[in-house]
Amino acid sequence: MINLHQVSKKFSQFQAIKAVTLTIPKGEVHGIIGASGAGKSTLLRLMNLLESPDAGDVEVNGQRLTALSNKALREARKSIGMIFQHFNLVANKTVYDNVAASLELAHYPKQERRSRVVECLQFVGLEGEMERYPAQLSGGQKQRVAIARALANNPQVLLCDEPTSSLDPNTTAEILDVLANINKRFGVTIVIVSHELDVIKSICNRVTVMAAGEIYDTILIQPTGIQKRDNRPEYFIEQLAKNGGLDHA
Amino acid sequence: MPEILVQYEAEIWQSIGATITMVGVSILAAIVIGLPVGTSLFLCRKGQLLDNRLAFSIVNLLVNIIRSFPFLLLVVFLIPFTRLVIGTAIGTAAACVPLAIIAIAHYSRLVEQSLLDVPKGVIEAALSMGASAWDVIFKFLYVEARSGLVLGLTTSIISFISYSTIMGVVGGGGIGDFAIRYGYQQFQTELMIYMIIIMIILVQLVQFIGTTVARMIDKR
Repeated sequence: MINLHQVSKKFSQFQAIKAVTLTIPKGEVHGIIGASGAGKSTLLRLMNLLESPDAGDVEVNGQRLTALSNKALREARKSIGMIFQHFNLVANKTVYDNVAASLELAHYPKQERRSRVVECLQFVGLEGEMERYPAQLSGGQKQRVAIARALANNPQVLLCDEPTSSLDPNTTAEILDVLANINKRFGVTIVIVSHELDVIKSICNRVTVMAAGEIYDTILIQPTGIQKRDNRPEYFIEQLAKNGGLDHA
Repeated sequence: MPEILVQYEAEIWQSIGATITMVGVSILAAIVIGLPVGTSLFLCRKGQLLDNRLAFSIVNLLVNIIRSFPFLLLVVFLIPFTRLVIGTAIGTAAACVPLAIIAIAHYSRLVEQSLLDVPKGVIEAALSMGASAWDVIFKFLYVEARSGLVLGLTTSIISFISYSTIMGVVGGGGIGDFAIRYGYQQFQTELMIYMIIIMIILVQLVQFIGTTVARMIDKR
């Protein structure tokens, strides 16, 4: 599904990615983890050519993106969804219009747009918030709008750049649930970049560990499943008092 | 109504008309040319969509040069050009030429600044959905920057009103010119003060409308 072949990327003096080769098969939930600056986000952004490589080939959905014209690349990107750490919704568009924008870009038939938007928002559980603006939503809701937007054109691949890194643990679990569902129900290949080990362990089948712009190792894992965090005040007290708690103030 | 205003009523209306014409042409030039120029300034910056150092430097330098002229000097300097375009360098129509040029330079800078406030991530999201440069500009940048664009235009319009007051030097007319010729030079201070009051009302009105519209369309 995704093939990176000897891909390199340099930012002025900094060699962010050093001749990386990676194959991600169809239907996989693939994690990329590593320290900050290891090149994991850059590697992800090379998969839809948001960063164009200095050398090497990028192939997605059987298309060599690195060989495409600008127009063909734009076409190809419509079947590669992407979500971001900071959601990147258009703040001046309603939830509905944010999702509709991606259909409009893909020239989705006008009469069917509305029902498709509603369908996508239903999938992420936000059909009741259609007329609201992003500023009126919580972080988790914003990310779900971004997921609906990315899904609207039935992508084969969903690229997730630190999708839960600005969310609290409970919301993180919610978002991971949605992502796991997308993979199961629609067979969408998912690539998740995260610095949170728990996130990667919970839903990935295979994980690439990056260090200094290179792949350190890629291993197969058994996803642990998504654990809902305990949010009761009693739980917090228990956890705080467990090791070295002194007394109530 | 004060007697002096009644006495000069026809001239005052004519002056207001000339001011509205000059400011109107400036606004038109700002929107039709200043907006695209400001957008290209933004897009040609380093790391932006069209990243073009040469185009950026040229447009940037041009805008800076126009903006460095004391406006009165720009008007005088442009006389040969104005004559070429309009056929004469005197009158309200001729006055519109330097006004339009400063309007483009002024507003394009404010457009560039408003667009710089759009989070880079929004542009990236647009690109990841297969948006062309055209789509990015009209469906994302302008939508996200719209209240800044309106506030910038409001600031610009108020500057245009101010610039238009000195167009008397080329016979452009307008309220400012009337205030100087009839109020100041003929020692009718009262008349001058009334003209200043008209200008104040005009500016307040523009600012009020601009601020209200900008607030209404800002959902961020």
